[in-house]
Amino acid sequence: MNAVQPRVEDGTAALRLLGLHKVFGEYTAVDHADLTVAPGSFYGLVGPNGAGKTTALSMAVGLLRPDEGRSEVFGVDVWADPLAARKLMGVLPDGLALPERLTGRELLTYLGQLRGLDAKTVADRATELLDVMELSGDAERTLVVDYSTGMRKKIGLATALLHGPRLLVLDEPFEAVDPVSAATIKRILNRFVAGGGSVLLSSHVMALVEQLCDTVAVMAKGRVVAEGPLDQVRGAASLEDTFVELVGVKVGGGEGLSWLAS
Amino acid sequence: MAGVLIRMKLAVLRHTIAGPKATWMLTGGLVGLAIAAGTIALATADAAPGTVADLLAVTFAIWAFGWMLGPAFGGDPVLRAEQFALEPVPRTRLALGLLGAAFVGVTTAVTLVAFTALVVYAARLGILSVVVSIPALVLQLTLVVLLSRLAARFFGALARSRAGAAVTAVITATMMVLSQSGWVVFIALDVVLETGFSRTTSLVIRALPSSWGVIAVEAAARKDWLWVVGPLVALAGLVVLLVLLWGRVLGPQRLARPVVRGSSAARAAKWTDRGPTAAVYVKEVRTWLRDPLRVQSLVVAPAFALLSGLLPLMFDSTALLPFVGAITALMAATVSSNLYGQDGTALWLTLMTPGTELADVRGRQLAWLTWFGPLSIVLTVVGTAIHGSLWPWAIASTTAILGGGAGLLLLTAVDQLVPGPDPHRNKNSPLDHGDTTGPAFVALLLVLTAATPALCVVLAGDLLDMPLLMWAGGPAGVLTGLVAYWILGGLAAKRLAERGPELLYLMRAGKEHEAALSAETSVIKAMPRHRRGLLWTSFFIGCLATFPQGLVPLGMKLSGEIERVWFLALYLPEGLQWPVIALMLLIGLSAFALASWVYLTESRKLKAKLERKAAERRPQEQPLAVG
Repeated sequence: MNAVQPRVEDGTAALRLLGLHKVFGEYTAVDHADLTVAPGSFYGLVGPNGAGKTTALSMAVGLLRPDEGRSEVFGVDVWADPLAARKLMGVLPDGLALPERLTGRELLTYLGQLRGLDAKTVADRATELLDVMELSGDAERTLVVDYSTGMRKKIGLATALLHGPRLLVLDEPFEAVDPVSAATIKRILNRFVAGGGSVLLSSHVMALVEQLCDTVAVMAKGRVVAEGPLDQVRGAASLEDTFVELVGVKVGGGEGLSWLAS
Repeated sequence: MAGVLIRMKLAVLRHTIAGPKATWMLTGGLVGLAIAAGTIALATADAAPGTVADLLAVTFAIWAFGWMLGPAFGGDPVLRAEQFALEPVPRTRLALGLLGAAFVGVTTAVTLVAFTALVVYAARLGILSVVVSIPALVLQLTLVVLLSRLAARFFGALARSRAGAAVTAVITATMMVLSQSGWVVFIALDVVLETGFSRTTSLVIRALPSSWGVIAVEAAARKDWLWVVGPLVALAGLVVLLVLLWGRVLGPQRLARPVVRGSSAARAAKWTDRGPTAAVYVKEVRTWLRDPLRVQSLVVAPAFALLSGLLPLMFDSTALLPFVGAITALMAATVSSNLYGQDGTALWLTLMTPGTELADVRGRQLAWLTWFGPLSIVLTVVGTAIHGSLWPWAIASTTAILGGGAGLLLLTAVDQLVPGPDPHRNKNSPLDHGDTTGPAFVALLLVLTAATPALCVVLAGDLLDMPLLMWAGGPAGVLTGLVAYWILGGLAAKRLAERGPELLYLMRAGKEHEAALSAETSVIKAMPRHRRGLLWTSFFIGCLATFPQGLVPLGMKLSGEIERVWFLALYLPEGLQWPVIALMLLIGLSAFALASWVYLTESRKLKAKLERKAAERRPQEQPLAVG
């Protein structure tokens, strides 16, 4: 966005969810969730399918109106001052459409203009991002609609990075992504955090969160059941075992099926 | 196999039969039965048997044609071969099974009734003909069902490419124009019953496979066994051939989707320093060119307008030609009335850059005008030049509709958004999109309303015999167009900004976020906003068109006591008065029908919801997860 970033006081959380609450019909998707992402941290949000991760993140970034609660990006209220808040963050939602009939470069150029960047900056950043994401060259003239899943995630990450945000909110950035693209994404995210940026990502792949994140939160049935530094949350066990215990589910797959491969 | 698939289809139908689909099925079934009755009546027509056979052959050809075009409108069949792609079942067996399942349906039943016309006709010729007519009937029915399934595959594959989308658009436009011009057929029928078809026409019609049953029945009356067995064997052979062909195309999609390429790195970076509106404009202009669904809209509007304008030429009338441009603009607004729904959840990017809503709306308006404006204007100029008069009418209607369309298009798209599958999810089946009849209807009515002031100026000039006032209609059209573009576009942007997250939810979840309901909630309050808007708009238009513009002038004409006041029909020349009254009544009644359809479906939905809630104080139902 504009070169001038909104002022941020030191020590404010990069992202703070305060009692976010959402009910669909009679189903409580997110139940008064609180989260705090410290500046410079790599934060992982884990939970089983249907735990409310996507709903919570959608409310946090301003894509879904909460029934109750607030969300602040570096102290700026996302719902009260959307413009300032969104200049500070880059978002990658899971599975949403893009302007599908554009090429990667056309898409980045379009978004750069929309976000008020000047032509030179847009062109330079688009070239750099496409090169880093390996979306230039052969893929230059391919429309986004024809991208593979990995390419879609990478162009999505490029759109989130384009305006130079200080916080990234990524919903399932590694879902169905091939190992090569995943490695690229991991490296870029690590560089972003090393450079002082903050990342919040959701995933249900425990090994990945253990590998990348320094802070984790566990969601189950719409509630945040644990939050803290990785080592503190998992203790002596692996994150997966802690997770299963925290979520309190019975792991299936042990009974029946005697006819299978017999 | 067939038994399993038939039970499966019935189960799916049982689950989908609630709601609007049932209404459409019932209406369609009744209309179909009426047409079927007409077909049977033809078989008893009082004319030479040879002529009746020709007529029946033509009608059967139309039925077969309808079966082939049906899938282009009705979308995918309930059971698709793709769903069974991984089941270990031989393809021919699957083809036969699906064929069996395809026979179960309202359409097949209606067609069966229509095709009994063959038996009725045979009864006129003798017992032998009746005996022959039974297998002919079965084969003919199988033939049309098979043709329909093959056409569905073909159209589905076709619509994935842009050229195919254009072809589909022309076929669609032809269907629409023909269905509006059914009266021409009756005029032709009147002539044919007396003189019969020409020899060539008769030969051509009888060569079509749908006529072979008729030929066999006729030959049976003459005891010409070669011509009885020949056509029947040929028909059976064709059916077997089509089953085999169908079995072959049932596999994974063979007809690849042509890939559209975007611009090179150098060209993609052009036009980058002109602000957000220009950015949206460039994106939209590119999308109109690259998206098969949009290409279809681009072609269907002028094709429909041209065909409507050319049809009266059969009676040496060029009266519609000056309005070809205006009709193009009107159709363009109608078919583009779900732009946001077509783009799907890509709306999140607009939400993430607050303050660009107006740029988004303006860019889309300008892109629409770029594609349809010059086209409509050229068609208007050429059409009016050929006709030689009606210039003020043509100019006023084209300018007013273009401006009104550009304004209303996006307001409708925001207000009446119909969610469909996201574009990246249905890239291989673009025909599979949400039912946009609602917004299209609303856009049509509203754009016509927006054009009324300019046309009234021309009408006033005509009546008062003031040529200058007539010519002022053009500028009036430009003025109302600009106002509509400016104010209604601004309104659309305001609604988009206010309701952005709700619209995104609607597209993610496929339905509106439901608030808590109680038994006291009234239907009108409980229905989604856009439905409520649709209900009131159509109710209002219904009142206006039926009573003051339809029934009152009707009464005056009948009683002979004419007071013009503001009754449009009475201001027109004598010859046009009755057609306009009829048109007004038609508009009014269809608006009332739409209003009551909305009310009935919504109250049924509310009732079902409340019942479900009452029954489910038990564990909660599976939630609708977002994303």
